[in-house]
Amino acid sequence: MSVRHVLTTCPYCGTGCNFYLQVIDGRLTGVVPCKTDEISLGRLCIKGYNAHAFVQHADRLRHPMIRENGQLRKATWDQALDKIVGELKRIREKHGPDSIALLASAKCTNEENYVFQKLARAVIGTNNIDHCARLCHASTITGLVHSFGSGAMTNTIPEFDDADCILVTGSNTLEAHPIIGSRMLRAKEKGAKLIVVDPRDTPLSRISHIFLRQRPGTDIAWINGMLKVIIDEKLVNDDFVKSRTTAFEELEEAVKDYTPEKVELITGIPKEKLVEAARIYAKADKAMLAYAMGITQHSNGTNVVKAIANLAMATGHIGRESTGVNPLRGQCNVQGACDSGALPDLYPGYQRVDDEAVRAKFEKAWGISLPAKPGLTLTCATKEAAIGKLKAMVIFGENIMISDPDIGHVEEAVKELEFLVVSDIFMTGTAQLADVVLPAACYAEKDGTFTNTDRALRMLRKAIDAPGEAKADWVIACELGKKFGSNGFEFSSPAEIMAEMATVTPIYGGISHEKIDRGVVRWPCPTKEHPGTRILHAQEFTRGPGMFAPVQHAPAAETTSDEYPFILTTGRNLFQYHTGTMTRRSPKLEREAPEPYVEINRGDATRLGINDGDRVTVTSRRGSIALKARITQRIIPGTIFIPFHYAEAAANRLTNAALDPVSNIPELKVCAAKVAKA
Amino acid sequence: MKLAFEERGADYLLIMREEHGNVAPAMISKGESADSVRLDIPYQLVTILENIYPWLSKGKIAIITRRCDEKALAELVKRKYVDEKRIVKIGLACSEEQIKKCRCNDPVPSNVAVGEPHEGMKDDELALALSKRSPEDRFSFWVDQYKKCNKCFGCTLNCPVCFCDDDCVLEDRTFVAEPSVPPGLSFHMIRSFHMADKCIECGECERACPAEIPLLTMRKLLAKDMKEVFGFAPGDEKTVSPLNTTLEGEQLEDECDEC
Repeated sequence: MSVRHVLTTCPYCGTGCNFYLQVIDGRLTGVVPCKTDEISLGRLCIKGYNAHAFVQHADRLRHPMIRENGQLRKATWDQALDKIVGELKRIREKHGPDSIALLASAKCTNEENYVFQKLARAVIGTNNIDHCARLCHASTITGLVHSFGSGAMTNTIPEFDDADCILVTGSNTLEAHPIIGSRMLRAKEKGAKLIVVDPRDTPLSRISHIFLRQRPGTDIAWINGMLKVIIDEKLVNDDFVKSRTTAFEELEEAVKDYTPEKVELITGIPKEKLVEAARIYAKADKAMLAYAMGITQHSNGTNVVKAIANLAMATGHIGRESTGVNPLRGQCNVQGACDSGALPDLYPGYQRVDDEAVRAKFEKAWGISLPAKPGLTLTCATKEAAIGKLKAMVIFGENIMISDPDIGHVEEAVKELEFLVVSDIFMTGTAQLADVVLPAACYAEKDGTFTNTDRALRMLRKAIDAPGEAKADWVIACELGKKFGSNGFEFSSPAEIMAEMATVTPIYGGISHEKIDRGVVRWPCPTKEHPGTRILHAQEFTRGPGMFAPVQHAPAAETTSDEYPFILTTGRNLFQYHTGTMTRRSPKLEREAPEPYVEINRGDATRLGINDGDRVTVTSRRGSIALKARITQRIIPGTIFIPFHYAEAAANRLTNAALDPVSNIPELKVCAAKVAKA
Repeated sequence: MKLAFEERGADYLLIMREEHGNVAPAMISKGESADSVRLDIPYQLVTILENIYPWLSKGKIAIITRRCDEKALAELVKRKYVDEKRIVKIGLACSEEQIKKCRCNDPVPSNVAVGEPHEGMKDDELALALSKRSPEDRFSFWVDQYKKCNKCFGCTLNCPVCFCDDDCVLEDRTFVAEPSVPPGLSFHMIRSFHMADKCIECGECERACPAEIPLLTMRKLLAKDMKEVFGFAPGDEKTVSPLNTTLEGEQLEDECDEC
């Protein structure tokens, strides 16, 4: 009889809590918090406590499958890999390497994502590699890289404890990042002022000092409004602006018309509350700003993120202890998948593919010539597939049939493909459409690293064997590379992959599994001796002087009309996670939130004759779904909310795939919709 | 180690040890080496034992036992969840620092094998302060605290005497109706009363609470009432809970194992 407690990292949100998987004779029996973990402090959310529940589920994929005569049939690994390599070679020969796209995964490790992008670039010969960061924080990367030179949390999770003011916007932190939310609670108990700006009443807004409720899609207006108050009332941090930034005059010009009255008209936020919030944030000594999808998922998402950066720079709230700008990343390894180069325009470590010196470095390291043209983003790849320009997709661990906007269109696009490969742990909606399905190992069945939202490298340690013939994605990708006849895929462990990645990725230059096994190290960590970096932009911004960006409020891509009078916004709830592949197979989570629902304001519901619990249909210009009405004051009149976890009433049948032109992030947070009793 | 395996004849030892720069709960089999033992991090090992026990059909298990673990074991033994003959208690006297952190009033196990015995704390400051406030004031204090609850179930999952597993009343819609977060007061009240005759005031619920709700103070207040009203305190192997009685006030002949 063997009982083991294996220290590993939670597979849900980007907080990166460590915990112990309890293993009794090869059976996962539970999750035990790690009391000495710097990030979680021995506390977990309900998803963390149930992170063992789906792992040994009977639905796990156990063997490869190949589609024959319309049916997926069991195959051997050799048959499946030969089929993939044969088809991809055929398509590449006929249509060129850019007719193939790879989707990496924010659920896979850094090492796996490094191998995926190497496979796309060095083997297939295309930069068509992307992943779901496109749907969540693509605009954070483009926006913050423009303003600061780096698109990650500037501070660390424990620093929330000591802030004097925390401004949270577009983040339902207590439900989506519960353990970061608990740090905010702790700061509040210690006296910090908590300001929440959100159209929805959330568990965090309910205990905030100031709660501003803007109409979805009006964020630049309230941010510029706050900046005008700060400038007019001489609350600008002049020393900081003078010594650390550039183009402040342009910002002054850009915000001069955003009077509190005008902002109230656009956003619905009462002017007195806006002024009060601006004063509290500007006057605080240590102010942390935190945001998530409510800011990024807009067709002008890059500009909204730049507005956030303006606010922090004008007040000098960046680059110090407990003072900074903190995009909360939503997936266990979405930070790491970006860091590892699973992006169509960037090599590992945010090095541009169109920079010749950088490309030469990678060509030398990998011993092969590499494509210069940036590849397709995930959102553009589906559009190209729909018109027949993209012929094949290889998807590692993503479920675009629920997660992407306007999935009716996604389905049509996927069906247009000549060849689709999906590697996953369960038979997802996307896998059901594939020509070859590969069974993958999940987080509990492999070694590797995740990089959490505060840039900390977190170890994954194998607790149990994968079911049946399932293999870790890094093994699958390496075998594909070798079957293609390429060199550079002879890795025998994730530690070896990280060793190679460190040599070509300056921000990971000092990272090794050995180094992070016993302590928390955050990038940039350029050398073996370097202790890692807690606070970014402390002396100067990564790009040099911080860049103010004059950005203007613009209406959402789709506005309400007589036919579609409601604004539909989407998001998560506490108990389910993304497309539900894991949480809906975890009995205790499913029991808490078993069915899809739409939140409707009480006044709107009364007007439409809808009672709590009634079945309703919600329709947008793209589709229609039927689900239960939840009548509440927690949402402002004129706006409805649907969590996007539920395949049986997928919110993304309704959402709009209008893209931010810079980052290609879709406008998942705003579209026009109507509601009727079913 | 020697005490557990050689002198007391255990087959397994449940302990804490340092691994990967952290402190982990660990079960060591006889013959395995156990280096890097750490006794300064308060994992509630009885909770771990409770998870493992149903899978372990034979063999004697030694366990590092603080006074609170000892009392928790008594509650489990009394309800026949654990066979006392299969448990070897290695008493650990807590450090002064730990006693202070836990606001513990009863820190010394009946047999001390490791550590120096120290006196317990007399009072819980928050409990004292609350007792001076009006009932309305106290109520609003607890309502504000419970508003922070994020329904992680950490208070039940880490509790050494919370053992209903899949039949937990807090997961039953009849008792806790709201699907929303935070859960209503009924969630916390039902848990409090359900634990009233078993809670041994170890404070693990409070340590595990991400919202840092002073759950231990709530338990201490309830324990005080139990003592005053029924003259009963949990943690003793022989005394049967006064709540296990018939309406006439007679004790049940066979104690219910379920609750």
